[in-house]
Amino acid sequence: MAIPVIMPKLEMAQETATIVEWLRQEGEAVEKGEPLLVVETDKITVDIEAPASGILAGVRAEPADIVPVTEIIAYLLEPGEAATPEMAATAVPLPPPPAVQTAPALAKTRATPAARRLARERDVELRTVTGSGPRGRVQAADVQTSPITPERPAPAAEVIPLQGIRRTSAERLAASYQGVPHVYFTMRVDMGEFEKARASLNASAQRAAAPHVSVTALLVKAVAWALQRHPWLNSTLRGTEIHLLPEINVGVAVALEEGLIVPVVQHADLKSVSEIARRVNELVARAREGRLAPADVAGGTFTLSNLGPFGIEQFTAIINPPQVAILAVGATRPAALVSPEGQIVIRPVLRMTLAADHRVVDGALAAHFLAELREVLENPTLLLW
Amino acid sequence: MREITYSEALREALRQEMQRDERVFIIGEDVGIYGGAFGVTRGLFKEFGEERVIDTPISELGIAGAITGAALTGMRPVGEIMFMDFMTLASEQLVNQAAKIRFMFGGNATLPFVMRTPAGSGTGAAAQHSQSLENWFVHIPGLKVVMPSTPYDAKGLLIASIRDDNPVIFIEHKLLYKIKGPVPEEPYTIPLSTSEVKRSGQDLTVVATSVMVKRSLEAAAQLAAEGIEVEVVDPRTLKPLDAEPIIRSVMKTGRVLIVHEACKTGGYGGELAALIAESEAFDYLEAPIVRLAGRDMPIPYNRTLEYHAVPQVENIVAKARELAQGRI
Repeated sequence: MAIPVIMPKLEMAQETATIVEWLRQEGEAVEKGEPLLVVETDKITVDIEAPASGILAGVRAEPADIVPVTEIIAYLLEPGEAATPEMAATAVPLPPPPAVQTAPALAKTRATPAARRLARERDVELRTVTGSGPRGRVQAADVQTSPITPERPAPAAEVIPLQGIRRTSAERLAASYQGVPHVYFTMRVDMGEFEKARASLNASAQRAAAPHVSVTALLVKAVAWALQRHPWLNSTLRGTEIHLLPEINVGVAVALEEGLIVPVVQHADLKSVSEIARRVNELVARAREGRLAPADVAGGTFTLSNLGPFGIEQFTAIINPPQVAILAVGATRPAALVSPEGQIVIRPVLRMTLAADHRVVDGALAAHFLAELREVLENPTLLLW
Repeated sequence: MREITYSEALREALRQEMQRDERVFIIGEDVGIYGGAFGVTRGLFKEFGEERVIDTPISELGIAGAITGAALTGMRPVGEIMFMDFMTLASEQLVNQAAKIRFMFGGNATLPFVMRTPAGSGTGAAAQHSQSLENWFVHIPGLKVVMPSTPYDAKGLLIASIRDDNPVIFIEHKLLYKIKGPVPEEPYTIPLSTSEVKRSGQDLTVVATSVMVKRSLEAAAQLAAEGIEVEVVDPRTLKPLDAEPIIRSVMKTGRVLIVHEACKTGGYGGELAALIAESEAFDYLEAPIVRLAGRDMPIPYNRTLEYHAVPQVENIVAKARELAQGRI
């Protein structure tokens, strides 16, 4: 006699189960207690054992069908027993559950007047707040606990990896700025005589087809001249020792697209203005072409940074360790000065700012150095001294 | 302080004002020898005589016309309508005459009268003796409407009403007559148009009138045991209303339940709700403004049905709890 296989009720609140697969084909024999099919409830997937031994017949539900519990899904026949027409009737599986009907979303957020007021005050976008009130209504407390959200996501930034020169200078500048106690001194210089001297030198250079003397080149010469007289500015700090350096090698900061680089004019104190001009021009050109050799940037004992060509009037620079000082030079601009006679005169004025490592350079020392430097800039004939 | 009943407080107010000002007199049905249907004027006939405590025929329109005319001639009458339901009969004089005269005479006439009347259900007096018709009069410019909820307020507001130069509809409650409370012996006034916070709380504001103030305070005491602190505000004068304490309270709590006995539709609660929604309290609301009021039906005679026709303490507790817990 045919034994029906029914969809078991596995849980108290279970109403249906889904057929996952049949483990026996129609017509195959199965022993009582052997797994016959796999079903899935909303909680578990489980093997259903054959309720009796027999031949599987009249399978009424296919995999993926959702069947109400206690419904007959197949029969087990005794050997030789024939399936009856009723057995062949296909079970009517339940239609798949309709997609959960959600009320059409209103464009407006449900929120209490108090929540709206708070959102206005705190610049919170109500749409982004999860409401804890009835029907998901946003309450004032929900706004209070919600992070302040920007109206729209910030546009993605263009990402440039920090590498090469920029990475090296970033690391060195940060280490210097954090590790070296910087102290700054600014002085104004009347550049009238300096400009005259430079004009005169350039007139000679033109006649001799020699390199053009830039402000920077002549400044390097003057700085080297002043450093000769103030060796502490041309030193380095090594542990507990201040080493006054035997050479005066003036670095010139050059801005490149890929970062800041400081080629060095070796022995600036021993070179003529013309030699320095040639060297500076060559270094700057090589730097711009990316052809600097390691030796070109090594051994600097002091650095000069001139942003005058860019119109900067005054700025401070970060010391380039192991050096102990850097000179930041601005543009030469006409400015009103009070002459020694007490008259207001218009003169070409340059502002230079020395940044020094205060562990080595005291204020008085820096002042003497700057005064000496101003002296030579205002009276370039002293370079002949 | 000594405690007396609401009814005694009203009688004391009447007696003290009649002693103070001989223009004050009482007129109504059975107010004299019988002492009033609810006994408020008991003993005053004996004390002040039939000229100052006047029994009338059964004509509410006559009482209303008499106090209107007397007030116009300079008297300060206190009329009594036995049940508020019968204010319908007095309405012509009150609504079409008394309310208009001061305006129509360009302020040259005053009508310093009080019309006292008991409203409300709860006594098994059925549909024609149980109504709360205050909002009919609230709607009429020129009438003041006062509704005391405690013995203290009853005395102070009645004296203030008698001394007011405008027609005052003074609505008492049948169930409040017997309740006791502290009342000073000496005469005092509570200025009309002063709402009062009867209990402080921060979770929810209940604005209630008349006997619903008492029920709301009982409800608040129950809710306090659950940790819900209810603020109960009593307008006391429905018109002109002192809205400020109500608005301030709603701004504090963000939730408001309005409770009155009168039918919900067209009731005073609608006016209060609109007023709150129009005020700056709007921006502080954390839930819809909720009204709990009498059902839109005549008060049934059957005591069980009567009980369920108007808000009771348990209804106020349930609704206030729902509102305070953010379920509305």
